[in-house]
Amino acid sequence: MLDRPDAASLLQAMAKTLTDEVLPTTSGGTRHSVRVVANLCRILERETVQGFAASERTRVALAELLTKQAPLPELVAELDRALKNGDEDFENRARRVLLDDVGRRLAIDRPGYDA
Amino acid sequence: MSTDEAEILAQRLSALLPGEVKVAVTGIASLGAQRRTLFLDVYESATGRTTKAVAQIAGAGLESNIVETVEHEARLLRAAELAGVVVPHILAANPESGTIISELVEGESIPRRILRLVEARPELGAKLAADCGRAFGMIHQIPTAAFEDLQELGDPERYAAEMETLLDSLADPHPTFRLGVSWLRRHASPFEGVPVIVHGDFRLGNFLASDRGLTAVLDWELVHRGDPMEDLAWLCLRTWRFGADALVAGGFGSLEDLRTAYEKAGGQWREEGFRWWTVARTLWWGLGLARQAQAYLDGLSTSIVLAASGRRVVELEYDLLRLMDDSSSS
Repeated sequence: MLDRPDAASLLQAMAKTLTDEVLPTTSGGTRHSVRVVANLCRILERETVQGFAASERTRVALAELLTKQAPLPELVAELDRALKNGDEDFENRARRVLLDDVGRRLAIDRPGYDA
Repeated sequence: MSTDEAEILAQRLSALLPGEVKVAVTGIASLGAQRRTLFLDVYESATGRTTKAVAQIAGAGLESNIVETVEHEARLLRAAELAGVVVPHILAANPESGTIISELVEGESIPRRILRLVEARPELGAKLAADCGRAFGMIHQIPTAAFEDLQELGDPERYAAEMETLLDSLADPHPTFRLGVSWLRRHASPFEGVPVIVHGDFRLGNFLASDRGLTAVLDWELVHRGDPMEDLAWLCLRTWRFGADALVAGGFGSLEDLRTAYEKAGGQWREEGFRWWTVARTLWWGLGLARQAQAYLDGLSTSIVLAASGRRVVELEYDLLRLMDDSSSS
């Protein structure tokens, strides 16, 4: 069965409650923490919607670059090892994959940063 | 802080100051884990004069080498003042208790407030960039003879190796930062001169500014010897522009204003060095954010702010990739 509201919708409501209702009643360090938590809710809301597709695209791109099928964390570790001894040509190909991946992560963590 | 505690502290602080004085604690700016900052009134009975002052007290046990840090900082602040840099005038320094008491300087340190001042009066931004350039010029001319004990961090090869060690100490792999390390090795631009005094953390948030411009350079804890371009690159890092990205010099001024004033104050600008340090410091800060997140993941801290730092790492990855791209295409 489907639970409603879903995660994204709840996270959106949590961010709004924190910003509109909690934030005005706080000051100093607590105020900063509330801002941070509200922002994390917005990040998680976007991650809930975009996260799976984003990491799957990175996994596919890395599998092609490294000519190996494996889960994403394993491929990232493999790329890191390969870059330790990589030549410039490999670095350039890796850089393109990394830039695409960073773009997808920014869309979740900090939209507009790469505008 | 209770009234009793404030009274005991005021007495302790009075004892550190020269002459017959009476100290009153008038406010607390921060009770940070690293340092407590207190506002004081210092009343001198002989002259009847009251001086507004600030006491910074390092938190016991949190900074590993408080005595040395405070001793260095006090010595540096005095040398910087002699060299003409705008810094708070030190009234007393007591390394044993981790305390520095200095005269209060007017000005704003909160980045967004400074940027709002600049937004309202763009000419203030140009003035501030020029003031920073001049301050760097003077800092980099502080005679180093008395500071041979300061760590020397200017060698590009060694710096790259240190970044690699930091990277390898993290639990998760960061391929973008791995690329950063090889870029640093491939593009090393060594500083051929005698290592200068480098402030190490001069950027928006670590200085005071008023509507007259720069009023004090603060936060000298990371001072060391090295390549002057490290300082200029750090001020200009995108991360310290707090969203005012178009104004390369700290989010408030142009690179040209900064550079012109720096050169006029006797500094020598090295474009290659500036670019190398921009990449190097971006990498360092990216690793710094990843380390903050690591402290949370390892259970060393429960701070939500440190946890959130993990989601800012990608910003530095983006900056780094763009910076490396710019330099390989030109």
